Amino acid sequence: MKSKNPLLKSKIEPWVYGTISVAIFLFIWYLVSLSDRIGTFFPNPFIVIKQFFLSFTNKIGRDTMPVHILYSLRRVGTGYLLGVLIGIPLGLIMACSKLGRAIFMPCFSIVRPIPGLAWIPLAIIWFGLGEKSKYFLICMTALVGITIQTYYGALFVDKTLIGAGKMLGANKVQLFFNVIIPGAFPNIFAGLQGSFAGAWCAVIAAEMIRSDQGTGWIIFNGMNYANTAQVLVGMLAIGLVGFIIAELLKALERRLCRWNIQGK
Amino acid sequence: MLADKMEVHFVKEKKKYFIISLCSLLSFFVIWYLVTAVFRLFPPQGFPDPVTVFKALIRKFYVKAPDGGTMLQHVWASLKLALYGFALGAVIGIPVGIVMGWSKKADMLITPIFHFLRPIPPIAWIPLMLIFFGIGQTAKAAVIFVSTVTNCILNASIGIRQTKDVHLWVAQTFGASRLYMLFHVAIPSALPLIFAGLNLSMNLAWMSLVAAEMLAATKGLGYLIQYSRMMARTDLVIAGMIMITLVGAILNKLLGMLEAAVVKGRHMQ
Repeated sequence: MKSKNPLLKSKIEPWVYGTISVAIFLFIWYLVSLSDRIGTFFPNPFIVIKQFFLSFTNKIGRDTMPVHILYSLRRVGTGYLLGVLIGIPLGLIMACSKLGRAIFMPCFSIVRPIPGLAWIPLAIIWFGLGEKSKYFLICMTALVGITIQTYYGALFVDKTLIGAGKMLGANKVQLFFNVIIPGAFPNIFAGLQGSFAGAWCAVIAAEMIRSDQGTGWIIFNGMNYANTAQVLVGMLAIGLVGFIIAELLKALERRLCRWNIQGK
Repeated sequence: MLADKMEVHFVKEKKKYFIISLCSLLSFFVIWYLVTAVFRLFPPQGFPDPVTVFKALIRKFYVKAPDGGTMLQHVWASLKLALYGFALGAVIGIPVGIVMGWSKKADMLITPIFHFLRPIPPIAWIPLMLIFFGIGQTAKAAVIFVSTVTNCILNASIGIRQTKDVHLWVAQTFGASRLYMLFHVAIPSALPLIFAGLNLSMNLAWMSLVAAEMLAATKGLGYLIQYSRMMARTDLVIAGMIMITLVGAILNKLLGMLEAAVVKGRHMQ
């Protein structure tokens, strides 16, 4: 019987398929943009790519693309950092102290299921239309994921390890810093990665609602002037930046949690 | 499994620290009430007290002012769109993901495009869809479709690829055809991951919908909270948020029930 196990290696190189698929994708896009009805508001891929590179020197609105990206990054960085600074301690407190859990868990359970972007109107009411409301929104979006992952990470640290630590005479503080935190670290890192995607999403939404610069503004402004090329250029930038940061976080994880990966 | 451990854990903890938790929950509302209604630290249009919010929530069920729809009309408008886009995304995404996981060629053909599109958050599709389809139902359903389809494809393909070789070999030894193996070995073992993808997509879909409705809509929960903000009706904003959270939680619960009914051997790991 001829085995067709999907795990068997194919004879054709993957990159051939990759090139073919991207070529087909671009070709369909090109064909669609040629038609009279859609072509007027849907530029072909080459225009978009050209515009993307041009946007690094030519201004969109008041700034060039790198400045817009920096604006978005500053917002997401500040809000995300706030979320991390609150979320990790909160998760650790709830996991390690029963009193802490009893106090914070009910309130956290109220906040937890609220979809991040539903905070937008309240953020605007409380903090105005400026930067502060964006920081708040991004912080709230990132906070929930980080707290949950830290909490479960610290709660379900291998009991054997904790027992071993206790047996070797570690006190509570030593146990916390030398066993629980390293043990929870892979989970905490998963939380950091997962919530970054949410935070990046939130900054785009916040910039679309009210802003004068940033990648979210680029696509929203493009929509208002029915400038599809600008929308697509913005989407390209958003996708690229999100992708690069996700890859950086993955690389950081490989470095910091090397012991964990090797153990698996 | 983590989920089961959590459940056992919670049940035990609940009894023990129930009272402290209850006090904490109560004090949450009491503090909220004290700062807003008694000490008036915030202007009422900035931060209303819980009683006002609760009243606004109840009243919204039969009063149409100020945004022209009762709560149930808004919920229905949002729910309809969310389920429409979600169902379409799942019906297309899961089979594509299964094919990608099963056939190496399909995988190599689709993955590059997929990697290209996936990092773009669903929110970022909103302007493009609004240009394409105008400010209507279709644009929002399309945004939800995009966000659902990517997660479904990803999880279904990973799930299929994680099928244990031994299981496939057993089926092969007993003379199962490739199709039989796909439907009776690979897909059932991929179901938990497929459902994890559905769950994730459901949350994302619900959130993206709210965002889309804030940008362009005349009905729906996102529109309700955005409009109430412009009318400086913070009580209605919070009431809308409560409703968004509640409906989201109910959707999650329903999906969980479906998972429990469909996925076999969930507890045997």
